[in-house]
Amino acid sequence: MTISSQLSADGQELTITIRGRFDFNTHQAFRDAYQCAGSSPRRYVVDLNGATYLDSSALGMLLLLRDHAGSDKADIRLTNCNPDVRKVLSVSNFEQLFAIA
Amino acid sequence: MAEHLDTSVLVTLQEVMEAEYPVLLDTFLVDSEERLRLLQAACRSGEAESLRQAAHSFKGSCSNMGAALLAELCREMEESARRDQLDEAPVLIERIEREFAIVRILYRAERQRWGGPG
Amino acid sequence: MPRRLSILIAEDGAADRMLLAAIVRQQGHHVVTAANGAEAVELFERERPQLVLMDALMPVMDGFEAAQQIKQLAGNELVPIIFLTSLTENEALVRCLEAGGDDFIAKPYNPIILEAKIQAMNRLRRLQATVLEQRDLIGRRNQQLLDEQRAAKAIFDKVAHAGCLNAPNIRYRQSPRALFNGDLLLAAQAPAGRMFVLLGDFTGHGLPAAIGAMPLAETFYGMTAKGYSSNQILRDINAKLKLILPVEMFCCATFLDINLEQGILRVWNGGLPDGYLLKTVNGARLPLRSRHLPLGVREATSFDDTFETLPLALGDRLLLLSDGLLESCNADDQLFGEQRLLAVLESNSDPATLFDDIQEALHAFHGQILDDLSLVEVSMIAEPGAVAPHLLHVYPLGSRELRPRDWSTCFELRPGSLRSADPLPMAMQLLLQISPLRYRVGTIFTVLTELYANAVEHGVLLLDSSIKSDAEGFASYYRERQRRLDALSEGFVSIEFTVKSEGANGSLRIAVRDSGPGFDVQCALNQQYCSESLGGRGLRMIRQLSERFYWEPDGKVLNVEFHWSGHA
Repeated sequence: MTISSQLSADGQELTITIRGRFDFNTHQAFRDAYQCAGSSPRRYVVDLNGATYLDSSALGMLLLLRDHAGSDKADIRLTNCNPDVRKVLSVSNFEQLFAIA
Repeated sequence: MAEHLDTSVLVTLQEVMEAEYPVLLDTFLVDSEERLRLLQAACRSGEAESLRQAAHSFKGSCSNMGAALLAELCREMEESARRDQLDEAPVLIERIEREFAIVRILYRAERQRWGGPG
Repeated sequence: MPRRLSILIAEDGAADRMLLAAIVRQQGHHVVTAANGAEAVELFERERPQLVLMDALMPVMDGFEAAQQIKQLAGNELVPIIFLTSLTENEALVRCLEAGGDDFIAKPYNPIILEAKIQAMNRLRRLQATVLEQRDLIGRRNQQLLDEQRAAKAIFDKVAHAGCLNAPNIRYRQSPRALFNGDLLLAAQAPAGRMFVLLGDFTGHGLPAAIGAMPLAETFYGMTAKGYSSNQILRDINAKLKLILPVEMFCCATFLDINLEQGILRVWNGGLPDGYLLKTVNGARLPLRSRHLPLGVREATSFDDTFETLPLALGDRLLLLSDGLLESCNADDQLFGEQRLLAVLESNSDPATLFDDIQEALHAFHGQILDDLSLVEVSMIAEPGAVAPHLLHVYPLGSRELRPRDWSTCFELRPGSLRSADPLPMAMQLLLQISPLRYRVGTIFTVLTELYANAVEHGVLLLDSSIKSDAEGFASYYRERQRRLDALSEGFVSIEFTVKSEGANGSLRIAVRDSGPGFDVQCALNQQYCSESLGGRGLRMIRQLSERFYWEPDGKVLNVEFHWSGHA
């Protein structure tokens, strides 16, 4: 499991990339990824291309990110979701809170 | 050629034992007489394994006390017994007895030098 | 750092023994000596030294035997044994190790090497002691946690006792540890012959997962007993969880509102895998899909409490399962998965055995009984009317003297309130004030619910029951109901209670009036029973359950009376 993050040149958009299992052990690293960028980004992209597994604590972490990013005003896109990840997000109806691509 | 008594070992023993040094010498002499008896008995009985063990033990004891030549003779006896060549044994026993007699005199002299009845 | 140790020296040569003891004492250690193996073992038992210097060849009992015995006596503790030997053959050295020796030292004794070896062995000894200490500490902490969990479970069970999980039509499998895996199963009889069932799955494990269950269960049981609707209960639960749970915690749940008398199933699923409604009439299997976010995520203002409505008949079965079942892994790390479950459902021919079929499939897949999976089956097997008396125990029973009663009250709901308010719980509280009727409050509530629904749906919204003839019709009827309710701009429903008593006798009259065009009540009552006119069936039930049922000629006002006599 690795997490890397990249801030756009204008500091407006933060992209967090997840590789491997997105589960409870990822907790601290994920928080560090978006907390380090402070509150400057207006948009967030979570790239789940390499994510092999998503459990309920991963969903919880996405909720934490959303809370950090302004709750209802948050602009977060979940990209490159494979079918398994998509299924998990769909059962929990997370497309009501995040833009899923 | 091994010495009868290695003086450097004696010096170390004095350092370790301090006041108990003469007691150690006495104990060794008494102990060794017994070991010699065991060695002779084993030789007479012709049991190679007992002979080997007795020689081995005596060797260890002698090496601790600095009786280098005596230890070397015991080693030869141990080796012969291990190879089951018991015909050489009586000769070796005799050499051991003679060497022990020398060593005993030397230890008694040592004891006197240290200060005490020989 | 050199430390003072208690050391046992076992050596049969007197001079060697004396010398070794002197060397070791000079290094600051406490020494006890033995001249043979037997003495060594005995001395070890008595003095319990921390380290042993053992000669290999000794009379009575040799060093190897003594070493083995000493190691056994030491048990889990590490007592290092250093063999004194000049046995150079490999075979002899192997014997030393096999006998439990940890190291060896040759004659003539070298004090420096001896001390180095003693200290090295001491480090190992202390390491082992630390490991044992920590193992015991962990064991105690673990026991503490288990005790705390047991206490938490006992507290929770007191809250949960009001439920009806042991009703004859409910079958479930759930482990005793389910609460701490985040799984929650609640069931309660609601007034008006309904049953509410909730299967919940909290994120996380252990006490944090279990803590959310308490307020949820309290709310569920408390509000159900008071006659609140499933929508209201769900909204309250969501609001409470949103308040108390941290952002990253939530509860996936399925809420079943089962009304067998009326043949209606309402279901809300937020985040759990599909449940299933198995129809007995045509063998159809209707999935109960997750259409909502889990509980505790949405603010109260944006929470969606929309239930899906499906037809329900005697003989139908409901199946609910939690995530844990689908995601359970076998020894080869394969998931049980949705496909396997569907395969079991497909191949099942007798709905009565479905629950067992699934259990068998799980057992076969895992090769063992796993006890941490939640699976619930609710069968529509009996008329739930008989359960009404159950409710009595939930209400605070006062013991007031019989006293004269003479009061009436009326309230009217207009479009705004028809949309958002539910008068039934408040009405329920009023009814509870009438102590002689308390034992029948379930029945009275059923009648009132029917009258109110009738007034709203047929009087004000002008809906036609005949649409509700099949699953599709059901769904569209309730969609239309919601649509018309949202668009309502005029109309009203009023409810009037009149209570009179004289001596030991008394009566309650409930009058429900609506602003609709009215209808021919007698005609509706007379209609043959068929699924198209549930309206007629409801009216017949009202007549059956009350002492008197009468109406204004135009059908805009329906009255029911309940009488009592000689009750205390």
